[in-house]
Amino acid sequence: MVDIQEDPGALFQIEEPTSSAPKLRTPGLAIGIDLGTTHSLVALASHGAAPRALPDTSGQPLLHSVVSYVDGVTVGARAMAQRVSHPSDVIVSVKRFMGRGTADVATLPHPYRIQAPSAGEADVVRFDVAGDRRVTPMEVSAEILAELARRAEAELGQWPTGAVITVPAYFDDAQRQATKDAGRIAGLQVMRLLAEPTAAALAYGLDRGGQGLFAIYDLGGGTFDISILRLRDGVFQVLATGGDSALGGDDFDRAIAEHLLGVAGIEGDDRQMWAEALVAARAAKEALTDEVSVSVTLERAGLTGHELRREAVEALLEPIARRTIVACRATLKDAGLRPKELDGVVLVGGSTRVPLVRRLVAETFKQEPLGDIDPDKVVAYGAAVQADILSGSEREGVTLLDVVPLSLGLETMGGIVEKIIPRNATIPIGARQVFTNYSEKQTGMVVHVVQGERELADDCRSLAKFTLQGIPRLPPSMARVEVTFELDADALLTVTARELMTGVKQTVEVKPTYGLTDEEVDTLVMDSLDHAAEDFDARNLAEARVELGRVLLAVKTARVEVGHIDALLPPDERAQVDAAIAAAEAAMAGEGEESLVAVRERLEKVSEGFARRRMERALLAGMQGHTLHEIESAIAAEDDLAPRRGSHEPEQL
Amino acid sequence: MAVASPSPSESVADHFARFGLAPRYAIDRDALESEYLRRAAQTHPDRFVGRPSGEQRAAMEAAAAINEGYRILRDPVQRAEYLCKLAGIDLDSSDPRGGAPHMSQAFLVEMIERREKVESARAEGASALQALRDQVEGEADETLDEAADALDDDDPNGAARLLVKRRYLQRLLDEIDGEH
Repeated sequence: MVDIQEDPGALFQIEEPTSSAPKLRTPGLAIGIDLGTTHSLVALASHGAAPRALPDTSGQPLLHSVVSYVDGVTVGARAMAQRVSHPSDVIVSVKRFMGRGTADVATLPHPYRIQAPSAGEADVVRFDVAGDRRVTPMEVSAEILAELARRAEAELGQWPTGAVITVPAYFDDAQRQATKDAGRIAGLQVMRLLAEPTAAALAYGLDRGGQGLFAIYDLGGGTFDISILRLRDGVFQVLATGGDSALGGDDFDRAIAEHLLGVAGIEGDDRQMWAEALVAARAAKEALTDEVSVSVTLERAGLTGHELRREAVEALLEPIARRTIVACRATLKDAGLRPKELDGVVLVGGSTRVPLVRRLVAETFKQEPLGDIDPDKVVAYGAAVQADILSGSEREGVTLLDVVPLSLGLETMGGIVEKIIPRNATIPIGARQVFTNYSEKQTGMVVHVVQGERELADDCRSLAKFTLQGIPRLPPSMARVEVTFELDADALLTVTARELMTGVKQTVEVKPTYGLTDEEVDTLVMDSLDHAAEDFDARNLAEARVELGRVLLAVKTARVEVGHIDALLPPDERAQVDAAIAAAEAAMAGEGEESLVAVRERLEKVSEGFARRRMERALLAGMQGHTLHEIESAIAAEDDLAPRRGSHEPEQL
Repeated sequence: MAVASPSPSESVADHFARFGLAPRYAIDRDALESEYLRRAAQTHPDRFVGRPSGEQRAAMEAAAAINEGYRILRDPVQRAEYLCKLAGIDLDSSDPRGGAPHMSQAFLVEMIERREKVESARAEGASALQALRDQVEGEADETLDEAADALDDDDPNGAARLLVKRRYLQRLLDEIDGEH
């Protein structure tokens, strides 16, 4: 008989063994990065400290999200200075190109040289820049990320062990994947992609320890998000999110620039003139936050001392700002809330400094919005806090329950989309779909995964297309292939397939419609200019050691605690696990021929079933309000009794 | 006292059991909310960063199941349909055995006629369309209530028929709202 006490608070007490084991992660060395359209920044919040942005050597925390290829690679203000003279070689607002195909960006106004993909190449944007280089948006973003990571490296005295990178909540799968790839190319371990409004809520919520319903209105340089969140019991639950991943302050600048060139009587598209007008438009917009009038001069266009008044500019901006309000209303409806029910509205993003925007938001939500944390920094602050939590620091736990912004579906007969995961579903989430054959001759079938709300697949975002192979030759509708779609906590999609007659699991080769394959990213990581090969190898080796040590510790702990229980670890598996542990220990001691990575992968593989069974026990235990440890003691005691128990059935708990 | 050995099927608990609720239509919303938040926090992948892949995988599957369960149970229509599914009737399947019950010819004809009425109401103007909408919505709500009663009376077949009827009414509503 085992006494089991109620302790509903702690389900996973497997985390720390009672012995003084070394930490599984390295707390305090993870960073939060806000990778913005116009500005980016990095923040640190080690060991529960208040977040702070890391400045450059001149004390400036905001980094212009601008990369110049004119003279080698430069990032930030120096790159910005070359923009007007070299419009095609200085990439600004690269975020607009992330996860997009060449056809998508054809409608974006931009001065870059972009060639259509050559045959067989994935439809990824590649900028032709100076120095005979072709760079993808992921590589351009990686330069920005690496610049920020170097700031953190200087601060921490070593390269950061992990990073949380923020993305607009409304980013689709391809845009998120592109961001994660950019992080890898920059040499960062991306621990999580965090939605920008959720990050802002985290920064605000921790400040106030609040409960209630909040709207986060986030208008950045190139993206707009609106998220409705509920804070309760230490959980931040996103109820609904909406937005436009191609709408932001850049559009304000463009409208003003067009107006200015119109006044100057300029037609046609002179790239340098346009670049000059954009710079002036941006400056005028910023000045008009506090002034009611500003004087504008465009040297190239021959416009001198033109007076721009705030009302005139607001008339230009209002149609754009109104589009955000439409999205706000739709998102409130999705959340099933009326404006009055909200406890607060938070403004995020530099573009919310525009007085017109503040006014429209206050009107729509029927309350004065909050903006007391710097709207340029609040997202990075939230990311830094999340990075600190994920790095294993002692910071008080909060949980972020985020959602997928756009429905996932499959193309069916006639190009109609069948939704399999609805928008605003909390992630992670999965869905299964069984496919069948039309005829006995059919042994393969094409599956097309799309994302979006429209009814026709052609109007949605194509994520991936793949062919299911090896369908058994059976009469029509008799073959059964089950395809599983999983969205992880980054809202990234994984697809697996299983043939139900044989139970054989298939690996599905999902080729992203827009984006790079894993191999291509690996190559870019290796080619990355900022990391000399030996430097990179050394870091990889150090990381591989840490990783192996971490897995070895976890498996050994489990093996010692409950590994003698046949139900959890059958004897044949036990022998394999023990052999893998011995090999891992030898590898850690510098013996053995195999690579650390190969040893770790085998250890993980042979212990996977064991880990899974433990977790399932833990979940069952949690359901009944007991800790894993208690349950395992009970199992262990029961197991010891087993030979004497004879044919008696165990009593049900 | 001992722990029941979970067979694979046992460890895949149904959504009601997942939140410690009895499999009934009427549920305690507050209990669901707080149980959901508690379990979602326990199984969230953020808690398993740096753990062996087997644990991460199992945690993610558990978190996904909890999220799915919450989505289904908090919605009255999905909850009712899910109760039918637990009773062996899958409304999303057209399989003659265990699939959605087939509706009578008379009912299908009626639905076609009512669709035509949507068009004539639309032609008549906004107030006529709104009146029709209110009527159909009232009928859909009533049908759900009847299905809930049938479930309480342990009559999943009757409930399934009513829920299929409600789906047709919902489609009519979507059509009125111009979502098709």
